[in-house]
Amino acid sequence: MGLLRYTLWRLAQAIPVLIGIITITFFLANQIPGDPVEIMLGPSPAQEQVEAIRARYGLDRPAYQRFLTYLAGVATGDLGQSIYYDRPVLEMILLRLPVTLYLTVSAFIFAIVTAIPLGVISAKRRNKPADHVSRIVSLIGVSTPSFWIGLMLIIVFAFYLGWFPARGLPLPWASPADIRGAETQLQVVRTSLYHLAMPMVALGTLQMAQITRIERSSMVESLQGEYVKLARAYGVSESKIVRKHAFQVAQLPVITIVGLGLSTALGGAVLTETVFEIQGMGRLIITAINNQDYELIMGTTFMFGVAFVIGVIITDVAYAYIDPRVAYGDES
Amino acid sequence: MTEPLLSVRDLKTQFFTEDGTVRAVDGISFDVYEGEIVGLVGESGAGKSVATSSILRLVDSPGEIVGGEIEFKGETIFGLEEGDAGELRPRDEMLTETQMRKRIRGREIAIIFQDPMESLNPVFTVGGQLREFIEINRDLDPAEAKEEAIDMLREVGIPAPESRYDEYPHQFSGGMRQRVLIAMALACQPDLIIADEPTTALDVTVEGEILEMVTALQEKYDTSFIWVTHDMSVVAEICDRVNVMYLGEIIEQAEVDDLFYDTKHPYTSALLDSMPRPDKTVDELRPIEGVMPEAINPPSGCRFHSRCPEAREVCREVHPDLRDLSDEGEATHTGACVKHDAFDVGYGDSPAIETETGSGFSAGLTETGGEAE
Ligand code: SF4
Repeated sequence: MGLLRYTLWRLAQAIPVLIGIITITFFLANQIPGDPVEIMLGPSPAQEQVEAIRARYGLDRPAYQRFLTYLAGVATGDLGQSIYYDRPVLEMILLRLPVTLYLTVSAFIFAIVTAIPLGVISAKRRNKPADHVSRIVSLIGVSTPSFWIGLMLIIVFAFYLGWFPARGLPLPWASPADIRGAETQLQVVRTSLYHLAMPMVALGTLQMAQITRIERSSMVESLQGEYVKLARAYGVSESKIVRKHAFQVAQLPVITIVGLGLSTALGGAVLTETVFEIQGMGRLIITAINNQDYELIMGTTFMFGVAFVIGVIITDVAYAYIDPRVAYGDES
Repeated sequence: MTEPLLSVRDLKTQFFTEDGTVRAVDGISFDVYEGEIVGLVGESGAGKSVATSSILRLVDSPGEIVGGEIEFKGETIFGLEEGDAGELRPRDEMLTETQMRKRIRGREIAIIFQDPMESLNPVFTVGGQLREFIEINRDLDPAEAKEEAIDMLREVGIPAPESRYDEYPHQFSGGMRQRVLIAMALACQPDLIIADEPTTALDVTVEGEILEMVTALQEKYDTSFIWVTHDMSVVAEICDRVNVMYLGEIIEQAEVDDLFYDTKHPYTSALLDSMPRPDKTVDELRPIEGVMPEAINPPSGCRFHSRCPEAREVCREVHPDLRDLSDEGEATHTGACVKHDAFDVGYGDSPAIETETGSGFSAGLTETGGEAE
């Protein structure tokens, strides 16, 4: 089937992109001034100690050798050893990634579920009060940084009202034993959702605003299309025109924005995790940079790169699925 | 003659813009009888498309039908009456928006749009779109509608309709898409089809094929057509009767032969002169001079006077209405030009006026019959 082959083809194309990402991160990370060993051992350490550590982490070898070793490692699923945590990088990532994914995916679902109806209503009632309200809200949404929204939410809903907890984000599938005050799995899920609410809104608002705006303009354009006129002239009801004829065409640019938003959201997650003290990828990458933990910097950046590439591929495949004009690789 | 299928009386459609009111259709009247192809001719901007969307009551905002009457098979598509306080309000028998949608659009009056590239929805299959409209307008279930759709595609000359049914619009050429749109209109079995410049976007060969096909199918199904075009050669090929529009008004109405061989209005003559004909050389082709003025502020008197080679002073003052100019015993032929005797306003004694386009070059062009080029 065309779509499957197209998907595989796009996946294959991702490999050189990922190699590019690794190369750039490797050499950039090595350009950061300072020395991880120094940070690790404190000021004026003994010379033998320094050399021992350098040898242990392979830092005494020239950069190109280390690069090739690293590349070979990545190919076999070994992202190296974190100097700071003294654990394999992959282990650290797998420990932190679920929280970040949980946060980002929730934020996205929140954004899409609210933005699409808002955008459609806005387009349908173009230049009427409902449209103005939604446009102002989304304008504020795109121009407000997520960390600021996060801080405001904490001040109002955690500090003054005390409705939601301000710190941490337990996973819904965590064991009840690890969560304070929870005995059953259901309670864990509830606690988790309580913790999720504010960071989800903080992170999702920007996406919501962006998607609303693009959905609106795309629907406005689509509703003026000749095919909409044709459907009207053949007696199709207005609600069906909005739901079917105009809607499906209008989703093409929306998909692009959602796909690109995925990487913006991951970037936003770094800030949101800091504000809400969530132990996710964002905190991990900051720790890595602060401690010049080369392998960890490269590993986390690589993971972000992978997430970005996956986002793009999902976008392309969804696009090809909705728009028959996108030529699949085998038809061009 | 019998009752007309469609009767339009003094239709006025206006657009309320920031710059003022655009009188896109300014009091036109015409009839369409069963089984005939009626032409609606004029340059772009004459108000032809607004007139046809008015018939379906699908004028885009900020446009609005402000006056006149549209009757179709005894039903009132549009009609106003004076209320108690002297205000105008829709008559009781005027169809509601829902009735228009369910009973008229597609089912009784179908439309073929100008641009076959844009009219089909790019994300649905051609067959799916056809089937949907057939289902709605003929109360068929999906399987029957699909069968009907495939039959119709075959009828309009699309090869291998069973397999093309599942293809998307971008896999069809422009001519093929126009055939699909024609199939769509015919498949709903309406009594009237409005064809809004359906061949303008196509090349001449394809246009010829499509006109031929439409003529054949029109005879077979006995559907009436309103054929909107700016091209007199298309009119000659398929129309029975013709309405010529200029700036929101109909300025000449006649059977097609009378219009061509006994032209009454200078604008119609100009249109005819600008059209390639086998009995004329290219040198004799004369484009119409000047551009049509804006409908927002139409010229006084005869609206064509700024471009009319026969304009006289009186044309600036008198606004000619459409009058019967036919000789006794002939089919009705009406025109709106004061040079005819039916208008006793002193055209003969009135001095000629310099037309707007009479800036040496084009005035010379008019007199000498097209030296330039
Ligand atoms: S009324 Fe006068 S200006 Fe108008 S078409 Fe006739 S001659 Fe020309």
